[in-house]
Order: sequence, then structure tokens, then C-alpha cells
Amino acid sequence: MSIKINNLTVTFKNKVTAINHAYLEIPNGVFGLMGENGAGKTTLMRVLTTVLTATTGTVSMDGILYCEENYPKIQRQIGYLPQEIDLYPELTVQECLEYMGILSGVSKKECKKRIQYYLEKTSLIEHQKKKMKQLSGGMKRRVGLIQALLNEPKVLIVDEATTGLDPEERIRIRNLLVDVSKNRAVLFSTHVVEDLVATCNQLAIMKKGEFLYTGTMSELIKQVKGYVWLCKVKDENSAREIEKRYHISSKQFVNDGLQIKVISTIRPEIKCQPCEASLEDAYIYLCNVKGK
Amino acid sequence: MILIERKISLPAYKIVYALCFVVILSLIRSISYSYKIGVVMEAPMALLAIVFCGDTYTQEITSKRFEIHRLYSLKRRLCSIGIRMVLQEIVLFILSGIGYGMFYYFQTPYPLYETNQGTESELQMFLLFLVAMIVTLWFWGILSNVLSCLFRNMWIGMGGSIALWLVTNSNLGETLFGNYNLFSYAFRNITDNQDFRWMYGKVLCLFFCILLISLMPKIIKKRG
Repeated sequence: MSIKINNLTVTFKNKVTAINHAYLEIPNGVFGLMGENGAGKTTLMRVLTTVLTATTGTVSMDGILYCEENYPKIQRQIGYLPQEIDLYPELTVQECLEYMGILSGVSKKECKKRIQYYLEKTSLIEHQKKKMKQLSGGMKRRVGLIQALLNEPKVLIVDEATTGLDPEERIRIRNLLVDVSKNRAVLFSTHVVEDLVATCNQLAIMKKGEFLYTGTMSELIKQVKGYVWLCKVKDENSAREIEKRYHISSKQFVNDGLQIKVISTIRPEIKCQPCEASLEDAYIYLCNVKGK
Repeated sequence: MILIERKISLPAYKIVYALCFVVILSLIRSISYSYKIGVVMEAPMALLAIVFCGDTYTQEITSKRFEIHRLYSLKRRLCSIGIRMVLQEIVLFILSGIGYGMFYYFQTPYPLYETNQGTESELQMFLLFLVAMIVTLWFWGILSNVLSCLFRNMWIGMGGSIALWLVTNSNLGETLFGNYNLFSYAFRNITDNQDFRWMYGKVLCLFFCILLISLMPKIIKKRG
């Protein structure tokens, strides 16, 4: 299963271009999608889920072109968990999943079987009789994930499923995504870099509707190798001075001052030493330093 | 499935406000004769249907569930909306019947035939009221739902329906449309039970119902 995006452009009625001549291939496994707010991630997901149509360019899933007559065929292969969703608050977990499963075309008997399987897998089995409105944010996301999986989709699209969750819930969701990524493509959009590090084989970074990078995590980190510097300054004022000239990816108080991580293609004109790069450093480099 | 749709489309608050509406209406709208019950109930019940059915599908839009619903087949989505509409209309119809009884209970009106002005018996009047209400409730409920879906906004759907309600439920509407008025039952000639020309208005309502239902698949496909 793979999704191919070819020269995709999405322009809204107000002339805002959310995606600009984008090319991308999403293979099996967890594929991360990262970018600042308004980068075009959600728009891309809406195109992939057929909510929006491309202004120009093409999208295809396993060779099936995204167009009106192919939509029913494509829609059957997709599971989707949108960013903000309020699943039927008055229904119990079991009812909500049963309802959405049947609507997605799964037979009642099969639906019940799959619900039980996924409820056990997501540790929600003891909460199945609870109303949706009684669940915590993390539990609701897990239910959302189950509803997206009930029709056994070949492509699972998850939009910022870990945002606003406590670390334990985030880890649980992440692990779930990896578990279900066997034999299917999982497109996982997030702001949380650690989530991508923990789950993705490949990732794409978006900015202003364009892909700045697509490839593996290690290759991305390789790009920033030699451009990350660890500096120590005595106070906040000195750090601010450096911030005016360079991009800083982290700042931390240590015993004798402030330790800052600077991203720069040339050695900063202060006392510093090269250090190991992280995905966050690579992201800052790609979005703010490279090409300037 | 029906039970789940009932929970989705008929939460407790909806039943409570609809019941309160009927109770309050039967308490504050004073009438002297029993034939007036149907007359004073038709338009307010239509208003209730507008509000009651406005969120039939738009609740999926406001909760962002529509993005998932778009992945479902159009047939199943329409079936779900259809079940919700039927369930809501049944509740509204039952409430109309209850409201009719409440008017009797609270206002103890005079039967018209006792005054030798009317020719319809009490039972006849009640049955005619029920027939008229089925059509009225369906029309205004569907109109509100279709407009809400079309504009993807419950308030615009309700507002548009209320605008039409205001025009047709007025002397201007009565003068303009006569027996073809959407509220022809409320404006009918009560003293002649052989005069069924008010049915034209209800047939027109039915025609619009069918038209609106036939538009629904296209609207849901494009705007849902």
C-alpha cells in the first residue's frame, strides 16, 4: 500500500494556497508529518481523506487515482482520526464504536468481534460501558483510534493524536500506532518531536505548504551534523545577544550560567563546542537556517 | 442502530424543552372553543419542529465528526439521517397529541357543535388535526434540516425556515396564498366540514417534502 502525491496544490476560495506543488510518497509503516501551525498538514490530510479536493496535481492510492468516481473505493481503505473530534458524548464506548463500525460498512457480528479485540488492545475493555463524556482526553483518543481501525483500513491517517495528552497516554497512543502499522500505511501528524522519534520510519517536514524534507530520520539528522554548537554564557542578557544572531534550539540554566544550543552553519563567534544533533535541532535547521 | 440513533438525535434536554414548550403553550394560549385548539397549535408546533430538527445532521459538522462520516457510504449516511428524522418526527407528533389533550385539560373549551356553529365532531376535529400535523411537522422539520445541511450551519437553517414561517403564518401569507398557504389548516373554514380546500396547502407541503428529500443526497454529498 502506498499513497503518491504528485505536484499537489490546494488553493482555497480566499486565494490562500495551503499546499504548493507538493510531491510525496507514503509507504507502509508509520510516516511522520511535522510542521509549524498553518504549514498545511491538516489540509494534506483532508485531501487524503477526500474531504478536500486538489486544485491541481494528482493523488493516488495503490494506483487508484483520487477522483469523484473512485472516492467510494478509496474511502473504504481509509481510517481517519481528526485533530479535534467530539465523539457522541451521550453514547457508551461500546455503542459509539458499534455505531461507527456499522456506518463504515462492517457487519454487526464482525464489528462486535473487532471492537472487543481493539478494546482489549487499548486497555479500554473495563471502560466499555462508560459514556463517552465520562472518558479522559487520552481515552477518547484511543476510542477515536479504534473507530478508525474498525473497517481494517489500508491507510490510517491520524492528525495530532498525542497533542495535549500526559506522557503515559502519549506513549500508549504511540505504541498503538506502531502496533497497527504492520501491513498498512500510517500517516501521523504531530508537533511533538519525541513522538516522531519513537514511532516513525520516515517523515516529512512541511512549511508554508511545501515539503522541506522527506526521508528517514537519520538522514535528516545527518544534514545538521556539524552545525549544532553547545555554548555557555554567564547570564540571560548574553544569551539574548546570541539569540539575535543565531537560532537557538534549547536553553538551560546550569551551575555557572546558561547553557545554550546554537544551530549555525558557521562556528559562532563565542566560546563553544560542537555537539550531537537531535531531530529537534534538525527541524530548526531545516525550517530556519538552511537556505538562508 | 435505531436505539443508538435515538440516543444521538433525542437527548433528554431536547425532549424536556419540547415538552415544556407544549405545556406552556397550552397554559398561556387562551381559547374558548375546542376547534381553536388545532388552529392555535399548528404554527407553534411547526416552529418547534424547525428548532427540533435543525441539528439532525449539523451536529456532525459542529463536532467535526463529519470528516469521518465523509468516509462512509452515502447510502448509510442518508439512512442514518432518515432514521433520526423519523424518530424526531414521531416524538413531535406524540407531543402534538399530548398538547391537544392538555388544551382540553387546562382550558376546558366549549365544543363548537354545541353552539350550532360548527359541523365537525370533536373526534373528527382531532383526527383532522393529526393528519394536518403529520404533514406540517414533516415539512418544517425537513426544511430546517435541509437548509442547515445546505449552509452547514444550524442557525442559518433555522433562521431561513423561521423567515418562511413568519411569511406564511401571517395575514399577508393567507391573502397571498389562500388555500395553498403552508398553514392552510389553521386558516380553514371551520363552519363547513365539506370544505376540504385547505388540503391543497397540505398537498403542497407534501410535494415540497418529497422535493426536499430528493435533494438531500446531493446536499449531503457536496456539503456534508
